[in-house]
Amino acid sequence: MRNRFDEQLLQLNTELLKMGALCEEAISYAVKCLTERKPEMKDCAVETEKMIDHKERDIESLCMKLLMHQQPVATDFRMITSALKMISDMERIGDQAEDIAEIAEYVTNADFQSKVNITDMAETAVKMVMNSIDSYIKKNTDIAYSVIAMDDTMDELFIKVKNQLINSVKKGTDNAEALIDMLMIAKYFERIGDHAENVAEWVIFSITGNHNS
Amino acid sequence: MSDIDCRVMKMNKKIFRSSLLVALLVLTASFVMIIGILFNYFQLQIEKELKNEAMYISIAIENEGAEYLKSIVNNEERVTLISADGTVIADTSVEAEELENHLDREEIKKALADGYGTSVRYSETLTEKVVYYAQLLDDGSILRVSTKQYTVVTVLLGLSQSISAVILFTFILSFILSSRVSKSIVKPINELDLDDPENNNNAYEELSPLLSKISSQHKTIEKQLHEAKKQQEEFSLITENMSDGLLVIDKNMQILMCNTSAKKLLNASGNINGNVFSVNRSKAFRQSVEKSLGGERFENEMIYNDKHYKIIANPVYEESEIIGAFIVIIDITDTIQREQMRREFTSNVSHELKTPLTSISGFAEMMMNGGIDEATVKDFSKSIYEEAQRLISLVIDIIRISELDEKSNIFVKEKVDLYELSEEIIERLKPQADKKSVKMNIFGGKAQVYGVRKILDEIIYNLCDNAVKYNNNGGTVDIIVRTTDDEAIITVRDNGIGIPESAQNRVFERFYRVDKSRSKEKGGTGLGLSIVKHGAVFHNAQITLDSQINEGTSITLKFPT
Repeated sequence: MRNRFDEQLLQLNTELLKMGALCEEAISYAVKCLTERKPEMKDCAVETEKMIDHKERDIESLCMKLLMHQQPVATDFRMITSALKMISDMERIGDQAEDIAEIAEYVTNADFQSKVNITDMAETAVKMVMNSIDSYIKKNTDIAYSVIAMDDTMDELFIKVKNQLINSVKKGTDNAEALIDMLMIAKYFERIGDHAENVAEWVIFSITGNHNS
Repeated sequence: MSDIDCRVMKMNKKIFRSSLLVALLVLTASFVMIIGILFNYFQLQIEKELKNEAMYISIAIENEGAEYLKSIVNNEERVTLISADGTVIADTSVEAEELENHLDREEIKKALADGYGTSVRYSETLTEKVVYYAQLLDDGSILRVSTKQYTVVTVLLGLSQSISAVILFTFILSFILSSRVSKSIVKPINELDLDDPENNNNAYEELSPLLSKISSQHKTIEKQLHEAKKQQEEFSLITENMSDGLLVIDKNMQILMCNTSAKKLLNASGNINGNVFSVNRSKAFRQSVEKSLGGERFENEMIYNDKHYKIIANPVYEESEIIGAFIVIIDITDTIQREQMRREFTSNVSHELKTPLTSISGFAEMMMNGGIDEATVKDFSKSIYEEAQRLISLVIDIIRISELDEKSNIFVKEKVDLYELSEEIIERLKPQADKKSVKMNIFGGKAQVYGVRKILDEIIYNLCDNAVKYNNNGGTVDIIVRTTDDEAIITVRDNGIGIPESAQNRVFERFYRVDKSRSKEKGGTGLGLSIVKHGAVFHNAQITLDSQINEGTSITLKFPT
């Protein structure tokens, strides 16, 4: 009985890793769309997002099955509940990556005369998602805490980008629509950062049993 | 162990119980038998005594008559005189008149028939029994003597205290003895040294087949362990020395084995275990893992940390069921780069050949169409000649490079003095140098190298040619030739335009030009430094390039001597 349960837990672990990898992929496609002017990456992002949704449902049903059939307690129970919470955050990360890819089709960083620090935000978002998944794989709370700390950098970057955009609006030299789009992209990145932070918090919860919210 | 203990009875306990049981059974049986035998013996004794007594009393009655009975005062025995018709004449304990006719009593019947008779009658409570002895007297009357006796039950009850004491004592005794016995039987078994089964001198003979079996199994296990360890060592020796990464995973994607190369290639550190995606989770890698676990051999290329890897994933079957996969990771960065260079070379060669040919073809076409004056024809012919010359030098350079590439044996090695050779080359380059007012100096002295004169000539010529070509008007070129204990060193130094740092790694590539826009004006084929590099490799010489933009370039070649 326990063997079967352990096998299912391993499977859950693997599926979570796959979903995490898909999230990383979706963001990297979105970033490529935005910074490397590769509009063909949009389709990849959309495709990946669908796979993420699918994976979320798979993992959800697996978790339900585990909860119903095995009625786990303590660490096992914590692991499954945090998996359930993590996948909803990861799914949101996928959605936002798709949104960025869709907007990026019409606007690229090069369109702006004034400098916009959106690339820094993109890099930070990618790093946060990667590290949050790494912390899960390595069961390492230090990495998870570093992700939480990175969210502050992300917030600062967002304010910086917002100010840059405000200045551009005031000058009136850039296309106003593109500026608004850019603000939305910045917000999406900021949201991705928040979700990555949530994932990191759930990782900490699954390891220590404490959730600092 | 504890599980087994619960279900299997301990040998010690078993022996103890059996021996205790045997002791108690034997004890009880002998007790019962002794009591039985003794009781029987007492009964016979009593009958004997009664007979004797009856005999004495009968003699007394014959002498004194029935009156004698009245003189007998004895509470234990009862004497009764009965007439031949069964009427009681006299009795020692009861008045004769109160007694009924005794003719139907068993002992009387027997006495009337045989002259004497005995019988035993039990009281109602079975606690007592009465033994009767009857004797027929000479006058036809019967004398009966009887005595009371306790039954076995009564005797036992009367003795119960001492019997219980005896039982208790024997029980304790057999308990202690059984315990001792069982312990002493089990002791040699407990003391068996199973690690060295053959060296048990005190063991029971019955156990020797078991011990020898254990001993042989011991040896087999040891041998197998040794072999398994050896195989494991061999396997890890092979896999650890592989330059390719090797990963073995089970069907749950857990890493079973990961060699050092795989760790290095995937940039992973520390102890690797757990899920395979913790090592790498790029799309190409994930695909390979999933496909191979799906039962498909899968090859894929992956770019990771600016390096190209080929991933070959194979499923592992056990009785047509997939139990895992092994993944080989090969670094193909060099191969890809080489392939790219070859492709570039081909396209460059065609391009370089095409440019002069196009001009030649153009000029020739115009001349063919006619209508051009003499002077222009001369001009065109000059251009055609120059382009053709360029083509020839290009083809010659390509041929030289291919020769060097193939390391053909057509070259004859001899002793060459680099200083002398450099002087010759300076002479040859004088016209070009003069044209740009570049001053050429040579320093140092004799430095002999064992090599191919033609190739060495080309190396130094190309270096000096470049130094003049890419120099400013009025610049200088210094050639320094010197020797150390085991090296001949030549340095060609100019104070020309220099090579930007970003291009320094690429100048030795074929057809690479730092400034493509000015290549035509400077002339040359773009193969010069490539020839230098190939020539240096041919002579096992070491090239170092030191250049600062707008300050000059210095290229040093170190030939082993």
